[in-house]
This record gives sequence, structure tokens and C-alpha cells, in this order.
Amino acid sequence: MSHHLFLLSPSDTPIYSLTHYSTKLPQPTSSSLSSNLPTWSTSAFAGTLTALSGASSATQSHHVQGGAVRMGGGQDRHVIQMIANASLDVIEDVMRKESAMYLKSVDKFNEWTVSAFVTPGNMKFILLHETKNDDGIRSFFHDVWELYLKTMLNPFHTAHSPIRSIVFDTRVRASAKKYL
Amino acid sequence: MNSHAFAALAHIPILVFPVGPIPRAAFEKYAAEIRTFDSIRLGDIPAGMKDERARFMPNPLSSGYLYLSYPSHPPPPRHMSLSLFRPSHFTLGIIGVAACSSSYSLASALEQFENTVLDIFPEGSTFPLAKVCLAFEDEESAGSTGLGDTLPGIVSIPSVMGNKKLYIGTLLADLCSHILAELGRVYHVLESPIGNEYLNSALFPTLPSPSEMPLSLSSGNLGYPSYSSQPELESSGLATSGIQIKRSSTAGPGISHTASLIQRQTTLGPPAVRKRISAIGAVSSHGRLYKVLGDFFLLAGRTEDASLWYAEAIVLFKTGQDPVWHGSVLEGMATVFVLDAWSAGQGLQSSVSNNGIKEPWADIYDQLSQSIALYQKAPAPSEPSQDHSLLALTYCTAVMRQTSLLFCTWSTKGWGALAFASMLQPASTSYTQKTTSDNSWTNLERISIVSGVSRSQIANTVSQAHGPWLLHLGPHERLNILQSMATIYSSLGYKRKEAFILREVISCIMDLIVCGREENDLSRKSDVGSANTGNRSENGDEVSAVGKGAVGVRQNEILEGNQSILKLLVRACKVLGVDLEAVGVATATDGNSSEAGGRDSNGFAVEDLEGLADAARESFGWPELQVGVIREAIATALDPLAVARISLSALRTMHSVLASSDQYHLYQTAGRALAAMRRRGEAPAVEYWAGNPIMSLALSPLALHRLPIENPFSILTAKSSATNSLLSGIIDPFLYNPRKSSGPQSKNLIVQDEPIELTITLRNPYVFDLEIQSISLSTTGVEFESSPVSALVIPPNTLYSITIIGTAKTRGTLVFRGCIVQAPWGAPREFLLPVPTDADQNLFARRQSAVRCESGRTKYWGLDSLPWEKDGRRLSTLLPSLKNPPQFLQCVVVPEQPLLRIRWTSLTHGAVMLYNGEESTIRLTLENISALPIDFIRLSFEDSTIGPAQEALSEGELSVFETYETEYDLLHRKAFSWRNEKEITNILPNQKVVLSVTCVGKVGCAYGTVHISYSQVNRGHEEQVPVPEVFYTRQLSYPVTVTVYHMLECHDMRLMPMIDVDYDDISPRASNSVIHLLPEVDDPKEWCLFAIDVRNTYGLPFEVTFEREQAGTEIAAVSSTVPPGSMSRIMLPVKKFRLSDDQISQPIPTLSDRQFVVGKSKLSIEEEQAQRELFWYREELLKIVSARWKETNGDRHGDLSLRQQRLTLPMLKALRTDVVQIDLTLIVDNPDGSPQELDYSRGKYIASPNEMLYLRVEVANSSLLPLAMTLDLIFDPAEQVLSEGVLSSIAIGKVKPDETKAVEVPLCFLCTGRFEIGAEVRIMGTSKGSRASASRICISVREDG
Repeated sequence: MSHHLFLLSPSDTPIYSLTHYSTKLPQPTSSSLSSNLPTWSTSAFAGTLTALSGASSATQSHHVQGGAVRMGGGQDRHVIQMIANASLDVIEDVMRKESAMYLKSVDKFNEWTVSAFVTPGNMKFILLHETKNDDGIRSFFHDVWELYLKTMLNPFHTAHSPIRSIVFDTRVRASAKKYL
Repeated sequence: MNSHAFAALAHIPILVFPVGPIPRAAFEKYAAEIRTFDSIRLGDIPAGMKDERARFMPNPLSSGYLYLSYPSHPPPPRHMSLSLFRPSHFTLGIIGVAACSSSYSLASALEQFENTVLDIFPEGSTFPLAKVCLAFEDEESAGSTGLGDTLPGIVSIPSVMGNKKLYIGTLLADLCSHILAELGRVYHVLESPIGNEYLNSALFPTLPSPSEMPLSLSSGNLGYPSYSSQPELESSGLATSGIQIKRSSTAGPGISHTASLIQRQTTLGPPAVRKRISAIGAVSSHGRLYKVLGDFFLLAGRTEDASLWYAEAIVLFKTGQDPVWHGSVLEGMATVFVLDAWSAGQGLQSSVSNNGIKEPWADIYDQLSQSIALYQKAPAPSEPSQDHSLLALTYCTAVMRQTSLLFCTWSTKGWGALAFASMLQPASTSYTQKTTSDNSWTNLERISIVSGVSRSQIANTVSQAHGPWLLHLGPHERLNILQSMATIYSSLGYKRKEAFILREVISCIMDLIVCGREENDLSRKSDVGSANTGNRSENGDEVSAVGKGAVGVRQNEILEGNQSILKLLVRACKVLGVDLEAVGVATATDGNSSEAGGRDSNGFAVEDLEGLADAARESFGWPELQVGVIREAIATALDPLAVARISLSALRTMHSVLASSDQYHLYQTAGRALAAMRRRGEAPAVEYWAGNPIMSLALSPLALHRLPIENPFSILTAKSSATNSLLSGIIDPFLYNPRKSSGPQSKNLIVQDEPIELTITLRNPYVFDLEIQSISLSTTGVEFESSPVSALVIPPNTLYSITIIGTAKTRGTLVFRGCIVQAPWGAPREFLLPVPTDADQNLFARRQSAVRCESGRTKYWGLDSLPWEKDGRRLSTLLPSLKNPPQFLQCVVVPEQPLLRIRWTSLTHGAVMLYNGEESTIRLTLENISALPIDFIRLSFEDSTIGPAQEALSEGELSVFETYETEYDLLHRKAFSWRNEKEITNILPNQKVVLSVTCVGKVGCAYGTVHISYSQVNRGHEEQVPVPEVFYTRQLSYPVTVTVYHMLECHDMRLMPMIDVDYDDISPRASNSVIHLLPEVDDPKEWCLFAIDVRNTYGLPFEVTFEREQAGTEIAAVSSTVPPGSMSRIMLPVKKFRLSDDQISQPIPTLSDRQFVVGKSKLSIEEEQAQRELFWYREELLKIVSARWKETNGDRHGDLSLRQQRLTLPMLKALRTDVVQIDLTLIVDNPDGSPQELDYSRGKYIASPNEMLYLRVEVANSSLLPLAMTLDLIFDPAEQVLSEGVLSSIAIGKVKPDETKAVEVPLCFLCTGRFEIGAEVRIMGTSKGSRASASRICISVREDG
């Protein structure tokens, strides 16, 4: 089961991203609808469509049902980014109406649930996850926020520059391990 | 969106298609007329059936409606399995539209109609249930088509008929009546036991073809009903019971429904079926049958019956394992609910008040959710069959239905009549578009609040439809679903989600195109069916039109398809922050250039400057996604021009985030695309794309000898005062002069018809070699001729300089606006390069800092911060705008100028070696190599001693005396000088002249330059009306390296009174023949001796000559040879002189006109007086004495400067004639009593001891005033001298001018030896210490004397 975290600047540019593979086994949630998918075309565009509709990950998960870790391929990663980007629509909509920073499960797309955390500085933390883990995600977001604030204390760091700090990365990973 | 109308389950779909040769416009017209009937009152349906076909007939006075929909094409044959599960999915009726004319008869129309129906619906399919062909008569051929003969199955409509619409309505009602009748027949088959078995046989059962049916059923002619076929009258119990049910169900309110239901159930209908089933032995439930019954009732517009039978079905399904059918029942119930609400609220237009706790639609929503859940958990069909696809379709349709419920409610601002209308007939209400056309967040949110449906709710609902199962769907359904989703997201204002879906839509279309091409390659047969239907779809559904149209793009040459795909791409990419149209297509080439010239230059320049400022702004978007989407876009775009534009746009806008491999790839792709286009013969040029490649444009300075210099005409008339120019090197008295910098900028002068060089610095920010086809200059003003630089390759990531050579053709002002750059296969584009003024730069810096300040803050976020939307946005601070028109690089083109060159010089290697003070001549041969005569020539010089001297002068730290010396040095001892002896003024073309420049060796001079300024001033042939105020000269410079050997040093100048000179001493010491000069010294008191040491520090002997040239004396000269390394003392007697008081009281003059000379010295008046006196006497002395040197073994000679020597006060005293002359004489009385002067020899008196002597002191006043004087006498040694009277302050009294008074003092020397007697005269009334004059004598007292 994997989690995908993105830190997005106000101009929708990711300044940090993390893919975390949890050791927990994913719940088999596959619907019969998505089984037995046909390979209906061999053109490159079909591949794009397959990926975007989430079919490739569905079939993939079937293949590695036994293993705990699912590998995110290049195509897959692009789709996940697309989903994260698309979920901004809902997040922006909700954050205008609500003052809460933690937006629990604001969006669902394909098999992914999107939770978000909006800082007062309009940074958006977006987490794509498959299972419900409300408390864990909330704690994780607060951890990341704190780490982010510590990074931002650096006067040479602007809101738009990517975070390349190794310390930040290590700590976020540790927090992800702890909570997710 | 037609297919996803909420109430599609209640729609009777009717297919309208053209028959025979009918013009498209005519067909569209008739079809539109037919389509206006979207519902038909139940009361209008003719009901004449008596048998089982009457089951679904409305009762005569019922108030409901039949709802018609007109799909553009029939469902594909793959969906045939759904025929019983979802009859509303199929076209139940068919209308053919034919145009009859004289050439096209009714019969042939009918035949063609039948054939087409057979083509579309193969024999054996359940649907369509009824068909009719309408033949519209042409207006021209009215009456000639034989309308009179009626054929069964075709209805002709004469053109003369007035109210066609009414007639069409009647025909439609007839058709519907037949459809309903046929539904009854189908149901009749199903309710038979075998029919029920078939119904329960599979997940999506179908009725077998009539031939396979049992005999009793085949007579029903189910598969191929037609209008013409007269149904056989089969009387059965069921038929009558059906009519009974119908009657009773519409008879009254709810109780009677149940009553009739119970009655029916107990007596007739289903129980009978059950009996028969049991008789056969099957245990199939009747749930499906009831569901079908409900569906049919729903289609027939009888909602009460439908809901009754649905309820029945649910009861049965609750226990059963048939989730799909169960879900379908729930869907049907939801539809019934809405239809009921619609008919209840249709009369009153006000919206139904929602005073309940739950929203009124919540129940429907829950029902649909339940249904969706049921579909989802339906067990997967074991065998991979069509069922997967159909199940997925059902699921997606259900989700879309649920979405449609929410969306219609939302878009019509709440649960009400409008919402029902849009759910029932989405096509007829344009309200949705109106409300959601304003896409601002406030408007959308307002709708949400008004309607009580939140946008995220809709979005979450619709996102259920998206999943891997989309792959199960056929291409058309998939497109349809995706496109509906995209529309909904778009209406909701969820642009990113829309972009996501659009990418899938594009992929779908592209896949179809790719597959279509392959199919085309396999079989060149045109797929008429799909193309036709594609063309026929007129619901404004762009996507499907594209999909179908693009399949045949090669044959049809329809560009719309490609353009539409591009539009989709651009739309999707824009959301991700990629502007695919950043690089436009240039218009016609010549038009572009003229436009560029005519356009206001301000806009350009400001844009350029702002562009620079924008570079500081932050980027937008998700780089990885952007790169991905661009790759995809390039793969998608079919048109090479589009490919090129996309790649170049990406390079232009995103090169900062693109990896180098991507940049290479994009560049190559663009190049290939452009090359392909060129190969095809198309030549649309793309705009220049590679940012602003021009970094700077600079005029290379002209070579110095070609550079024209502007001079005012006045210098020709005024006599040039070289004094000033030389001495006032740095005359500006202010350290900082604000006027100096704000003065007119130095103009760039270039000469007409002479080539100039411009250096252009180009920049390539990319990682590949940037090719530039040509670069040319853009100029205004004077005609300028230059050849463009072509085929240029700029290495990656570098700055690159090129040089352009050009010539100005006429004189005037030339402005370089910038450069015109053209990329390969691109259109030329002009880049302006303004030369910013200080104010501009200031503004620019402020703008930049404002932008930089802004970059950390976020005022707009998300899609509002798209880069191209930013310009319209407000920033938190107001950016200062650049108002002034930009300044460009300007040149003044001056008229043609003559050109001189130095043909020959007398120097080798431009070097001259001189002894200090030596004078030499440099000869320069000049040649006029132009065609113009030179009539003005002037020389000026420069040497290395001038600078330091001028600097010392300007610092003002020098004393007055030193200042004078420095200035004297500058003015009278120039290192170079030119005496225009030959009066050279004119140099004709190709003439040579020789100039002689005098060069004087001056210590410290290391190099010098001869500047020759020349011009043609008088240009008789071109008389200008306004006499120009300026003329231009050119300057030729000839540098000279000067080496000056310092070989003779003078120092230790002395001036001694002649009286004191010990001739014995002189003789051995004087190296020159001073002795022979001594005789002329008649009176030692009148003379003094000038002595100076001359040292030779050089390696050669020099002969030094000192000359005296004094008034009242003969010219005398002494010379001496000074050997190397040794020193000689030169002595020269100089006659004393005295300067008048007037002369010495003048201040020390300054040779320049410098002002602000404030005496820094704190000298008292006396001291100052003394200084002046020293100064003037020294000047006089230097006039008298001059020194020359000469090489002993050669003939080189020169002057020896004495100006280093200082005059001291004792020397002054020696030089100056005293005011008072004292004459001391020793007199002895002769034995005869007559006084006699004592013996005087060799400057001494010789006396005897103890002899009475008289000292006679004669004082003469040589001044012009009478003076009162006293006299002091001093004896040395005083003890051995006896004298009478006082010796000090002996009053002499007033002595008139030129009068002499004498004082006599007797004295006696007491011993032998050498004595001295001094006398001092003081003038009364002056200060004590100042003696006016003094004199002394030496006496040698000897015994023998």
C-alpha cells in the first residue's frame, strides 16, 4: 500500500514529493467491474488512457496480490501526479469555504482518496492514500507542517523554491513510517 | 449529453434518417420539425387495439405524456443483449425522411427505406418496434409525384399542406401508438413460461430470433414488425386483462390501484405466468418479468403502473441474487419519482418548497446510490463476454444518472420545475448553459448555496464513473461518458479535473484515429455507416463529431477534426500552465515586416523591458506534468505546423524546467516538422520563438585616425590661445560638477560612405546549438546599407558576438532600433534595443525590485496565478510604468571627410634620443589619400611631462614661486613644437607634404604624441542655407618615444662680492679661464662673481659654455670641458645691478589665467617683499647668464638650464648694487705732511705697526632720496687697534642723492698681523637690524712696511 505526498506551492508547483510504501497490506477493494480488462488496442494512446483510468494499477495489483509492495512505475507516477493536481480543484473549493487546515478525504479519484492540509501561507500538502487512516494522516500532516515551518525559517528559502534539504526528507520519511 | 438525460429510461427513442437523394439542408429542416415534438400527450395517442397489444395503451382521458427522444444513431449491435434489460436504450421507432420529386417516386423511396432499415437493424432483432417513412414533396414538383397513390409504409406530405406540423404530430402519435402496441406484444411473449425462461436465462437475456422460438410465439412476428403488416387478431384472455388493468389503474386514487393490483395478481397476469412456469418445471423468479413490465409502463408514460410493478419486483429481488436487475429497478423507480414530481409541479412554475429536513431529492439520490452499489458488487460474469462491457455501461450510466440528478438540480438553482424539465428534456432547456456560463467562483458558489447541492458533491458523484472499467466500454460509449464527465467538471469550474478527463478524451480519439488508419490500410472500403452517423450527429457534440470525422480524414480532407483535437489539447494544457500557442503563426511575410515598422515602438520596448522583469517572476505549474503533457501533445498533434508550434512554445516558455534531453528532442522535433512542411510545399512561417536573443548592440568605435571630431566654427576665426589650453589642463574648480554629467551625451559620429562595425551580442539559453537563419539591423533615419549575417549557429548556453558592417549613405541622424532576427523556417521578428536613460534604468530597477518583492508573496493562487493571467492582476504595489519613449542607439552621420596618412617619418621606430636640452627635428611626410582636399591643418602635442605638471598645478599645493616655475616650464620649454614655416594650409588629394616638428630634450619626458587635426572646411560645392555651426576634423596621431639623457647637472650656484674674492684661491680652483676675465673687473665693488658647479654624469665629455650678456658690459663667455664623472666649477664675473623699486614690488606673476589662487603662505609683508625681490633678481640674473653645452667629440649641442638654481639672500646682496656706497680708504700722512693713500696690493693695505693712520669713510647716496645715515666701524682684532672717538653710530647726517660725505677716523695698529676693518651704514628711521650697506678692508700690518 502506498502513500504519495506532495507539497505544492501556491502556484501549483511541487516543492517536495514523497512516495511512501507502507508495510500494511492493502484491502482488496477491487470491484468486479475492473476485472478482466481487455487489451483493446495497442496504440500508445491506449496506454495513456489505460494509465489515466487507473486500469494499469488495477491490473498490477492483481499481479502482485501476494506481495506487500506495489511498484509505482513511471507511467503510474505521472497519473498520480495528475490526480494530485486535479484534486486541487476540490481543495481550493473547500478551503475557500472552510477554515480548517486539515481537509479530510476531500476528493476521491479512481482508487485514490485525497487528503489535504492547507497552511496559512497557502501551501498545500496533498496525500494520496487508499485506506482510511484519519488520525494517522492528521498527525502526519502536523508533523510535516512543523518540519516545513522549520525549513521556511531559513531566510534564503522562498515559498517557491523546492525543498532539497536532506534533513527534511529524512524526518518526513520517519514521520510517514510512524503514522502511515 | 442526450444519452445521459436523467429520465432517459422514460424516453422512447426514435431514429430519424434520410432516405434517398435528399439535400442535407432539406433533411435538417424536416428532421428539426420532427424533433420539436419531445413529448406527446397520452390523450393524443390513438388507441384502437383490442388484443394484448392494448396493454400499454393509455386510457383516453389520461393526462400523462409520452416522452420522445431522437438519438442520432442506433445503439451498436453489441448492445443487443440489453434489449430486454433496458428497452429505452434502443430505438423503438424509425422515421425515414425522403424528398419526393418527379424523378424519385414514392415506391423507390419506400424500397430504399426498407433496405436501409435492414442494413441498420439485422433481421431478427427485437427492435425497432415501428417504422414509418415520411416523403416530403418538393415545392417545384408539386403535384407531379403522384401523391394520390398511397403505398403502405410511406406517408407522403404534399408541399401545399399548410400545417405540416400538426400532421407530423398526428403521424408521430400514430407511430407511438404502434410502438406501445408492439411493447404489448413483446410482453405477451415474455409472460409466457418459455419467455420467462428466456428472460431468466442469462444476466442480460435476449429473445431468440423468431425462428428459434416456439411456434406459438413466432406468429407474433416480433422480430420484424412493420407499419404495413397487419397484426393478426389473436384474442386471448391476457389481452383483455391488460385492458382491464389499464382501465382500473387510471380509474382513481391509490386505493383502487392496490385493489386492482391485488385483483390482478390474484386472478390474472403473473399468477398465470407462475403457473405456466411451474408447469414447465423452471423455478425462475418473476422479478425480472415485473421489472420489464415496469419498464414498459414507464415508457408508456403510465407511472402509477410502473411504480406498482417496480415495487413488486423489488420484493422479489430482495431475497434473490440478481443485483443487476435489482439495481435497474431502483433506477426505474427513481425515474418514476421524478416524472411524478414533474407532472405534479408542471402547472405551477414555482419551485417546490423544501421544508423538510432532508432535501427532496435525497431519497432519489439514495435510491440511485443503492443501485450503483448493486451494480458494482455484481458478480463478475464468468465467461469473458459482452456482459463485462454491458455491465460497465450500465454502471456508468447509473452514475451519470445520479450525477445528472445533482447537476440538474444544481444548475437550475434548486429542486423545482426547471430542474425537472432539464432532467426530462435536457436538450430543450438551455438554462444550464446560461447559469453556468459565468464561470467565476462566486457565481458557482452562489448556485451551490441556492440549490443546496455543493459542487464537490457533484464532483464526487461523477468521479465514481471513472475507473478501470472504462476500458470495458466500446469506444463510442467511452467517449460519451468521458465527454459528459468533462462537461460536468467544466460546468462546475473544476478545470484541472476537466483537463484530466480531456487527456483521456484525446487519447480515446487518437486511438480511434490510429486504429482507423490501420483499418483503412487493410481495407480501403469506406465505412459508410460510421461516417454517415458521425456526420449526422447534430447535437453539438463536438467530441464525437471529431471522433467520427477524423477517421476518414485522409479521404475527406476535413481539417475541422484536427483543429478540434488541437483545441482540446490547448485547453487541457492551459490548465496545467502550458501555453501551447505561445509561438504564433506569422502572417504573410511582407505584411509582417511593414507592420513591425509601422507599429508603435513604445509597446515593443516596454514589452521587452517587462519581459526582462518577468524573468524574475516565479514559474507556474507542475513541471513534470507539463513535460508529460507536452510530450503527449506532440505525439497527438497530427499537423506538422502544430507539432512545430507546440515544441517551440514549450521551448520558449519552459526551457528553465526542461531537461536537456527534452530540449534536444523538442528542438529536433520542431525542425523535422518544419522541414516536413517545407517538403510539402506549405510555407507558413512560425514566429520567432527563442526568447530575446539579442543581449546588446554596440557601435564599435572607429579607428582613431578615422574618428571625426566636432569643432565649433568659431575656433577658426579666434586666435587659439595655446596658453590656456595647455595650462588649464584640469580647470574645473569643482570636485563634483553636476552639470558635466547631465550635459548632452557624447554623440556617436560616423562618416558618410565609410563602413562602420556594429557588434551584436547574442545569447543562447538552450542546451543545443541554436540556429539563426539571419540577423539584420533595423534602422531608422538615414539610409543605411548593411548585409545581414546569415546561417549562424550559437553554441549552447553561451553569449556570442557577431559583427555587422554597414555604411550610411547620406548624412543626418541614424538610429539603430534593434535587430531583425529570423530562425530557420520562421518569420523574421524585430527586437528593439533601447538604450535606457538613467531615469529609465532607475524605473526599471524599481520595477524589478517591486517584482522581486512580490515574488515571495502570494496574492493569487492556483489557476488564478497562471502566468498569462498575471498581467491583468493587481500587485500589492503599483509598478512604476515606463512613460518615456525609449531611446535608441543614435549616430550622427557627418559628411565625407578627407583622410590623411603618415607616409614617412624621419624617426626609426618612432623613437627619438636626446640629451637634456638638445633640440631635434622630426619630419613627418603626410599624404592625403582621399578624394577631398584638406584646407585646414593644425598640430597639437602632448608629452609625458605635461600631465604631472598640470596635475601639480591643479592641486594648488605649490608655492607661488614653484607655480611660476612649473608654468614657465610648460609654456616656454615645450617638448614639441611646430613652427609652420612653410605656411602649409592646403593638401590636395594625393599630395604629400612634409611637416617639421621640433623636439626638445626635457628630462622626465618619456613619450609624446603629435596630433595632426585636419579637415576640409570650405566646401564650396555644396552650399548649405543654414551655415553649420560646427565642422568636423579628423586627427592623425603620431606617437614618439622619447629618451632624454640627463648628462649635466648644475648645482651650488654662488654669487660672491668681488671684493671678497681671493684671487690666489681662485686660480687653482677655477677650471675655466676666468682669470682672463678678471682684468675687466675695474672696480671690485661694482662686480660680483657668479660661480656654479657643473657635473657630468654621463659617459662622454661635454664642453660647457656660460655666457654673460649684460647691458653696459661686453659679452663675455667662459667655457670648460667637463670630463665624464667629474665636476667643474664655472666662474663668471657679473656686474652688479639694481632693479627699481617698482619692479621688485610687483607680485610674482602667474602665467595662466587661473583664478581662485589664494596665497596659502603666512608670510609677513617683509618676508613677502623679500621673496619678490629674490624672484625678480633671479629672473634678471637668468636673463644675463645663459649656459650651453656641446659635445666635445661631436656637434650635438643644446642649452643648459639654470632654472633649477635658487637665489639666496646673501647671493642677492652680492648681486645687488647697494643703496649706499661705502668707500674705505686708509690714509697715512706723508713725511711731507701730505696725506697719501696707503699701499694697496692684492686687495690688501699694507701698513706698519704703531703708525698713525686715518681711516677715511666716504658714504655716497646712490638712491634717489635723501637719506639720514649713521656709521658703525668694526675693527678686528679690536684690542690691537687704537682709534679716536666713538666707533658706533657715528652720525653722518642727511646725505642728498648723489652726494658723498666723508668721515675720517684716526687709528693706529699696535702690532703686526692681519687686520680687518668693517664699516656699516644704517639709515635712520628704518628697523635696527637693517644695514643699508657695508664694506670692509683688509690690512696687513708688517714691520718692514
